[in-house]
Amino acid sequence: MIELRNLTKSFRTPHGRKVLFKDVNAVFPEGKNIGILGRNGAGKSTLLRIMGGIDYPDYGRVITNERISWPMGLASGFQGSMTGRENAEFICGIHGIWGRDRRKVLDRVQDFAEIGDYFDAPVKTYSSGMRSRLAFGLSISVDFDCYLVDEVMSVGDAHFKHKCEQVIAEKRKTANFIIVAHAMPQLKKNCDVGIYLGPQGLQIFDSVEEAIELYQQGLPKPRAQQQNRAAQALNA
Amino acid sequence: MGPTAQRTAWQIQCDVIHALLVREMKTRFGKWKLGYAWVLLEPAMHIMVLATIFSFLGREFYPGIPTVLFMLAGIAPFLFFTHSFSKSLAAVESNRGLFNYRQLRPFDAVVTRVLLEFAIYLFSLVALLGILAWFGIAATFNDFLLLVAVNILYLCFCLGLSLALCVAGAKYPEAAKMGPMIQRPLYFMSGVFFSLEQIPEQYHPYLAWNPLLHVIELTREGLFASYHGMFANLPYLAFSSLAMLGFGLLVYRASWRDLVRSQ
Repeated sequence: MIELRNLTKSFRTPHGRKVLFKDVNAVFPEGKNIGILGRNGAGKSTLLRIMGGIDYPDYGRVITNERISWPMGLASGFQGSMTGRENAEFICGIHGIWGRDRRKVLDRVQDFAEIGDYFDAPVKTYSSGMRSRLAFGLSISVDFDCYLVDEVMSVGDAHFKHKCEQVIAEKRKTANFIIVAHAMPQLKKNCDVGIYLGPQGLQIFDSVEEAIELYQQGLPKPRAQQQNRAAQALNA
Repeated sequence: MGPTAQRTAWQIQCDVIHALLVREMKTRFGKWKLGYAWVLLEPAMHIMVLATIFSFLGREFYPGIPTVLFMLAGIAPFLFFTHSFSKSLAAVESNRGLFNYRQLRPFDAVVTRVLLEFAIYLFSLVALLGILAWFGIAATFNDFLLLVAVNILYLCFCLGLSLALCVAGAKYPEAAKMGPMIQRPLYFMSGVFFSLEQIPEQYHPYLAWNPLLHVIELTREGLFASYHGMFANLPYLAFSSLAMLGFGLLVYRASWRDLVRSQ
């Protein structure tokens, strides 16, 4: 269960404070996957991070008894001069995974990330694809009740993407997701509850379809656009 | 393998600090040739330079104590102070990426750095004393319990100071520029490499406010039987250390969310 109580968040801008959402109260029962939608800069990632206990609101609290992950596929915690294995060991350490369990996790990471011997090379020598594969492998190798996903389901090549989707489908049986994405099919497939962050603040819907509908209201219709362009071509 | 379901707050704290310690060790010593030897080489070189200069002057600082030992007992604690000072000013900025893990907050980064510096300081002090003794430079040892007490208090002092400084360094990045400006005068006012007794007596009451001076004089008293610091005052050190620890914890508690929060 994740409960939001009087949640208020604003950002400082040169033209005064910009309020993202104000006095939000909501309870998300266990077993619900949450999708967050909104335009760029609406505060989607901030909301995700507040719900995950990484960022903090101006006022209010997030109350939860779940074990919530770090943002999936996040590579900013890596130390470049340490090897992939050492970085993975560190992540295990702060999550209280030592000894035999840790070895199992490391094997899983190495296996999933498919970086082979590079696992024992410093992370700064990695290509960006290898880096994100390692990060993603780490995310799925540590078990949580709830995973945070911030637009990263598209790392790596087609083969790796497919593998990620498989793993996420597998994870969905035992864990929940809070997802920020712009890809509607992905949200439709993975989410039960929708949160729309618009100009009026935050709105919560019992189904993600309603949120998607609201999000798409402001969009120009693709067909109309095409007709316009055709008309312009004719005029010219 | 999930995070163990029922970890107590204390267990989480220990896990995080343990993992961070390993990480700091690897990043600090991994990149240089000679790696861990630098723990000893830095204070050793520092002392060598000063010792050569002063042996040319041909002075003995304190009767019965070899000059090198006298300086070692001042420089080693002072290096611990400067290191935790500058490390904690940068602690928030250099660990920003790690705050994406919800159990890791600036407190852990600061505590880890101070603990590591403390361990390095104790190790280098003991090792260098041992090496010098092996070469025949030694003085009669005095009081082990006093040393233990002084060092625990000193750790409290640096921890409190570092917690306050990590907040200052994150809120006012200009504070980093102030670092050397504060450290350099302290270097001279703490009796690191000379005895403050030579300073005119009317200034002594003001000098005695400096807790570092007490740390260094008490360390020397603990190490050398023939040393008697004229400022050394254990109750004052205890009071100022605990006050500093309390101050640091309060400052941190009042504003730690602002260090992590997006603004």
